[in-house]
Amino acid sequence: MSFDHDTVTGFAKSFGLFYLIAMSIGVIVYAYWPANRKQFDHAAHSIISDDEDRPCP
Amino acid sequence: MIQGTWIIQRGGVGMVALLTALERTYAAIILVFVICVGVAMAVAGRGDLMAAHGWIVALFGMVVMAVLLRGIDAPEPWEERFREYYDDPTKVGIILALIWGVIGMFVGVWVAALLAWPDLTFDAAWASFGRLRPVHTSGVIFGFGGNALIATSFHVLQRTTRARLPDQLSPWFVLIGYNLFCVLAATGYLMGLTQSKEYAEPEWYADLWLVIVWVVYFLIYIRTLARRREPHIYVANWYYMAFILVVAILHIVNNLAVPVSIGHAKSYSLFSGVQDAMTQWWYGHNAVAFFLTAGFLGMLYYYLPKRAGRPIYSYRMSIISFWGITFMYMWAGSHHLHYTALPHWVQTLGMVFSLVLLVPSWASAGNALLTLNGAWHKVRDDAVLRFMMLAAIFYGIATFEGSFMAIRAVNSLSHYTDWTVGHVHAGALGWVAMITFGSLYALVPWMWKRPALYSARLVELHFWLALAGTVVYVFAMWNSGITQGLMWRTYDQNGTLAYSFIDTLVAMHPYYIARTVGGLLFLAGAVVAFYNIWMTISRPAPVDEGAAADLPVEPPAPRAWAQAGE
Amino acid sequence: MFNFHYRLERNAMGLVLAIVVVASIGGLIEIAPLFTIDETVEDAPDMRVYTPLELAGRNIYIREGCYACHSQMIRTLRDEVERYGPYSLAVESKYDHPMLWGSKRTGPDIARLGGKYSNEWHVAHLYNPRDLVPESKMPAYRWLMRNSLKIGDLGEHLAAMRAVGVPYTDEMIANATADAYGQANPDSTQAAGVTARYGEATNVSLFDGKPETLTEMDAIVAYLQILGRLTDVAHKTEQASVE
Ligand code: HEC
Ligand code: HEM
Ligand code: HEM
Repeated sequence: MSFDHDTVTGFAKSFGLFYLIAMSIGVIVYAYWPANRKQFDHAAHSIISDDEDRPCP
Repeated sequence: MIQGTWIIQRGGVGMVALLTALERTYAAIILVFVICVGVAMAVAGRGDLMAAHGWIVALFGMVVMAVLLRGIDAPEPWEERFREYYDDPTKVGIILALIWGVIGMFVGVWVAALLAWPDLTFDAAWASFGRLRPVHTSGVIFGFGGNALIATSFHVLQRTTRARLPDQLSPWFVLIGYNLFCVLAATGYLMGLTQSKEYAEPEWYADLWLVIVWVVYFLIYIRTLARRREPHIYVANWYYMAFILVVAILHIVNNLAVPVSIGHAKSYSLFSGVQDAMTQWWYGHNAVAFFLTAGFLGMLYYYLPKRAGRPIYSYRMSIISFWGITFMYMWAGSHHLHYTALPHWVQTLGMVFSLVLLVPSWASAGNALLTLNGAWHKVRDDAVLRFMMLAAIFYGIATFEGSFMAIRAVNSLSHYTDWTVGHVHAGALGWVAMITFGSLYALVPWMWKRPALYSARLVELHFWLALAGTVVYVFAMWNSGITQGLMWRTYDQNGTLAYSFIDTLVAMHPYYIARTVGGLLFLAGAVVAFYNIWMTISRPAPVDEGAAADLPVEPPAPRAWAQAGE
Repeated sequence: MFNFHYRLERNAMGLVLAIVVVASIGGLIEIAPLFTIDETVEDAPDMRVYTPLELAGRNIYIREGCYACHSQMIRTLRDEVERYGPYSLAVESKYDHPMLWGSKRTGPDIARLGGKYSNEWHVAHLYNPRDLVPESKMPAYRWLMRNSLKIGDLGEHLAAMRAVGVPYTDEMIANATADAYGQANPDSTQAAGVTARYGEATNVSLFDGKPETLTEMDAIVAYLQILGRLTDVAHKTEQASVE
């Protein structure tokens, strides 16, 4: 297999597209996966809870 | 009660006293090593500018050593320290950020004035435009922005993981080592040491040093995360992590170079021509993305909800925009090279990704603003929160503008002109500086355990100075950029170019004066901030009223968040 | 359920890896093909390397930050080609480590500056731009006239350039210092070596107007005069239509 310019750019363009689509789907599924909801809510609220400002022992 | 007094007692030398004897010893060893390296550089670089840098390194090491020695025989610190977060490096980082900010912006105003009145160079090489300009850019981006990022990242990291930093030496190594890098950068430019790579000007030895510092920074992050008590890693840390990791990759690749010799400061870049152009703008654009954007988004996602007392509007959206930004920015660098000798398909790719990039960018800006929705009364009353809101708005503006400028046809007009500079400062002043000032104003009273800032009215004054300065600056540059771009391409009836280059130069003059005025306003605001924060710190701490003094005092966290979010 | 992601986000190392992979693949895919570009880049058999004096001048150009105000990249746009000359080709900067395309035109593009003005014009202009162009925003670079040029180590510079891929010969490296002197002193014995090594067309002249002493002005003017003239491929090949 030869690595001439056209092959490499062709690969870059096609693979890049698949990669983009797969990546977007993956992220959206993860963000909206029902089971993740609870921990996201917890995380969002955790920083504003007024616990003591010190590390957990 | 006891801890309260204990905190107040340690100040000044106290920072060294809080280090364990072992940590002090290691610190001394590292400093001796740094001083030796400095002297070695001075010897190896005889007759070259590198010698000057060698002495600067050695001197820097000695100054830090002097501070260390003042507290070297303090008694072993009390075990109580493990019951608290380790905030000393954050405190020092805040002050360093402010100092660099004032210096960097002062030089910015000077550079702006040089374009209006070029004879302000006074026949001194170090004071000429080409040498001062990188002092400005590095001073504000790395000195001001970088120190603010390091300081806030240590704070956010500990609070969101509920774990203390893993040790007390490495954070100092990162903070002080990083500032050594900044000093080498700024002094180097003044002497004429530069690689000419935009935002990566420092020479090879400074670059190597930064790699070491950065690895330690990364390790602090990982070690703290490994000890976290919260199962979920809060999204702000994702952004800080992306900032640390990607900047490391960019920095190493972009700075690959062969020094003339071990005793020469000068090096020759490994890449040349079109490959170098793409590499430099892959770096340059992603320095914007991961230094000026991701890092500061980390700040936004922690300090804005915290200050507003409301959780982020949509946590999911913050995750989606995180991956969107991390993924897409990497492809967009070629929009800096439209119509150049770079192959056409790479330009198109850069343009397309720049357009799509608007989606995650606006998702972040919108998320921030929606978080404030329902708390507008706070925004009205609290200038600190208003800084953060304005930052989100300018982030939206700058990214919209950026995506627009990335369109080839638009770029043919904007490229090479002041429009780019206007875009840069819409982002830099409106977004980076505003979110930084907002976060630091929020952070300072927490760090120094003060009930509030020295003066809320000075914050208010700063807010209006900063807003006015930004608006004047950005509008002046939009006008001058678009005017110049249009003049360059205007033809007369005979089909020849209508304006000489000098004609366009004359047209720029008033805008350059306006920009200098806008910059002065912004600088004045930064000086006010420095004074206000300094007074907050130096005012005696309130008498300890029991354990409450250890808690973040403001803002009061209302329970209103229950209705916020999805 | 959905264990992979669940762990990813609990596992700090996973997050690190994900960031590195997601971020670097993009750059890799886009940049890697450029390193095969030599096959498609124009050929320029007449392309020569910078002489030691020109290289020293280029380093001064970098040191003074001239690139902050001047671009060296004429875009494929009609008005640029008419204002500055044939648009820049990739091959023309192939010996530029690093490239100096620039991103801001506070001053005009200078990719095709070589030969546009006399040496005297450049010296006077750099000494004080406002003597020649009253509206100029460019700093006065008087110290270039005062500073003598450091040429003793130019051989090492050439060797470093060779290490990054520029075809300097052993002879060029060995004679770098003499060549730098000779190029700025046409009457000296060293002058002949310069044309022998870098070609008859090499510009050998008293750049700063003063014989004997070699100043930084000599070097920067020598560099300015070679801009766009390392090869004339851009003038010879037919240029694609511009937009
Ligand atoms: C502050 C920005 C600035 C810097 C820095 C700068 N220049 Fe200029 N330069 C200009 C401007 C504006 C002009 C147009 C007016 C003039 O001819 O002086 C110009 C014009 C020129 C010209 C004439 C170009 C032509 O085609 O007419 C040359 C040559 C030149 N500069 C060389 C240099 C060199 C060499 C340096 C570095 C030592 C430098 N410049 C640094 C702004 C700058
Ligand atoms: C007091 C406020 C400031 C003033 C007066 C100012 C002024 C300037 C000037 C005059 C330039 C050179 C433009 C040119 O070459 O034409 C510049 C460039 C730049 N400044 Fe600022 N600046 C200020 C604040 C900031 C801040 C806070 C940041 C970043 C956080 C910043 C980032 C930059 C960058 C990145 C560039 C390079 C732009 C480019 O290459 O296109 N500036 N600034
Ligand atoms: C969606 C987001 C963004 C896009 C698509 C974008 C796009 C662009 C484009 C097209 C240019 C002009 C390149 C040229 O013609 O030379 C540019 C320059 C620049 N942008 Fe942005 N931008 C974005 C966000 C930002 C933000 C938030 C900042 C923060 C400060 C920023 C900082 C800069 C800087 C510093 C430059 C100047 C580079 C230089 O020439 O030195 N950008 N950007």
